[in-house]
Amino acid sequence: MMKRQAYLGIDIGSISTKGVIIDEKNKILASAYIWTEGDPIGASKKLLHLLEEQFDKEHYQITAAGTTGSARKLVGTMIGAGTVKNEITAHAVGTTSLHPDVRTILEIGGQDSKIILVENGVAVDYAMNTLCAAGTGAFLSSQSKRLGIDVEDFGEIALHSQRPARIAARCTVFAESDLVHKIQMGYAKEDIVAGLCQAVAENYLNNVGKGKKILSPVVFQGGVSKNAGVVSAMKKALGCDILVDENGHLMGALGIAILAGRSGSIQEFDFSAEHAAFQTREVNCGRCPNNCEIICVYRDGKLIDSWGNRCEKGALRAEK
Amino acid sequence: MSQKKVAFPRFGNYNLCIKYFVEQALNAEYILQPLLTQRTLEAGARYSPDSVCAPFKTCLGSLIDALEAGADTLIMPPGICRLGYYGELHEQILRDLGYEFDFINLSRYSTGKPKDYLKALKRIDPDLSAAHLARVGAETLKMLAHLDDTEAEYYKNCGFEVHHEDYHKTWSRFLAAMETAQSLHDIEQAYSWVKQAFSSIPISKPAFPLRVGVVGEYFTAVDGFSNHFLEQKIADMGVEVHRFMSVTNRNLRYHGKNLQIGIQDYCCYEMGPTSTANIWAAKHYASHGFDGIIHIKSADCTPEIDIMPVLQNISADYKIPVLYLSFDSQTSDTGLETRLEAFYDMIRIRKEGK
Repeated sequence: MMKRQAYLGIDIGSISTKGVIIDEKNKILASAYIWTEGDPIGASKKLLHLLEEQFDKEHYQITAAGTTGSARKLVGTMIGAGTVKNEITAHAVGTTSLHPDVRTILEIGGQDSKIILVENGVAVDYAMNTLCAAGTGAFLSSQSKRLGIDVEDFGEIALHSQRPARIAARCTVFAESDLVHKIQMGYAKEDIVAGLCQAVAENYLNNVGKGKKILSPVVFQGGVSKNAGVVSAMKKALGCDILVDENGHLMGALGIAILAGRSGSIQEFDFSAEHAAFQTREVNCGRCPNNCEIICVYRDGKLIDSWGNRCEKGALRAEK
Repeated sequence: MSQKKVAFPRFGNYNLCIKYFVEQALNAEYILQPLLTQRTLEAGARYSPDSVCAPFKTCLGSLIDALEAGADTLIMPPGICRLGYYGELHEQILRDLGYEFDFINLSRYSTGKPKDYLKALKRIDPDLSAAHLARVGAETLKMLAHLDDTEAEYYKNCGFEVHHEDYHKTWSRFLAAMETAQSLHDIEQAYSWVKQAFSSIPISKPAFPLRVGVVGEYFTAVDGFSNHFLEQKIADMGVEVHRFMSVTNRNLRYHGKNLQIGIQDYCCYEMGPTSTANIWAAKHYASHGFDGIIHIKSADCTPEIDIMPVLQNISADYKIPVLYLSFDSQTSDTGLETRLEAFYDMIRIRKEGK
């Protein structure tokens, strides 16, 4: 019997690593969501293992793989992915495949946040935070540690607040000092938590969303969309309903799997990368005063790829 | 008296024009410092206030490069924004560091009377005659216009070349010819050579290629190093890249009032050194069916921040996406590539859907 085709997509973010395997009709066959914990290679191996356990190898064969997210290049090299694409495109494709009528995609991840405007199922404009990670997941999780609360419980606690504390939202550093001030003043914990959620929503809309026309239907995704407090603050600020997909965290992975499938190039994928040893090494080129930092990736001791050089002088070729 | 060794901060390819002018008109030696690199920027940033714009740091770094290469006379250009004040600060910082040099700060001579610039130049060559200055000046401006014209053609086509680096090799040869030019004849010869050479490079370009217009702050938009060679990056994806901002368009052939007429629906007076030109160019791109606009500036550049709301209006009226990018000494190449790639994907998928 001919095996049916399946596509693998992995989204390696700063905080979490997500993966899906889909069939030709974009149906999710397997999915996994784990913490990156500062080790994208290790996390991707673990993720592949989790996906392999759920995957029906008898009936399906993975014929295309793609990676996205901030470690897309590294992990793309590692698993030999045919499609390596930025997370903005991946999120737009993933979300519009599930919600073809969406007009605005709000996305708040661990370190970055973006807004994508969609018309007739096609992205027409986007913006991404620059220079500053204020109002992202990393900010929430560092503050939850300060407050001694698990970040997963944050949203629930926020919803109990009657009068959220006002927290200066323009900048993470000032937000934090304002937060400490409010704690020392004796504000109730839930009011502070709710205030923080509001600060994240406001910060996002004032920075990333600045000048963009936010039309409904609005889909909110990324790790922070799991936080009911931020969702409710966002709804209040926008004055319209917001859709949070239960698979919202998988959109990037789904998008890149779809793009890998669409790419048309067939490359059978086995899970062998799970068991190989990968190493990275940084070299400074030194051939001109730019002194580019070149990252070399080795699989079982063999150089498989390198990047970071600005010009040909710093090009290191993989051993054939 | 021995010849002066003159230098000017690195600014795109325009140093070649200054070199020609200094050598031919001022009877002085021109010191062409090495190309801008990370080292230049770091050296400049080390001695600059942290919050000042990146061009300040780059210019300071390249003035240090010039002093190390033997320059004894530095020229600093004038400007309508904070740039007008930068020369004074640069001089003070360099003197505090202990360097010895003559500093010709053209802002001090920007009085509205061109005759005063002659005074500045006479500090380099006391025997300079107005007639000689006028002749070499005209030749230099010719060179400048040819450089801008050739560069514009380069970015419109280099993304579609059939053989890798054809355009780049020709362009580099042209720059080398301009660097060694000694007369108007040399300049014109190199120009007609490059025109010919460009037109004989085989390209494969679709009938309706993706077209992107770049607008933004003068220095960052024009200087490749300062914008991480953004134009080359987009062109390499297979895009026609247009940029109105150049010394030719902003200074030689500029008539602000007349450009203003075309954009009076968006703003009714000049808001800064490059606002009228940029808004005009953005509207031009939008109304001529371009696929996207990229607005670039150094971080905290006030005049360019001011035109962003106007660009948002143009974006909404003409339904054209605008990507806003800020550059400073900490800008990461990876972050830039992510944003450019996403922008490219977006305009490509959008065009395919049309």
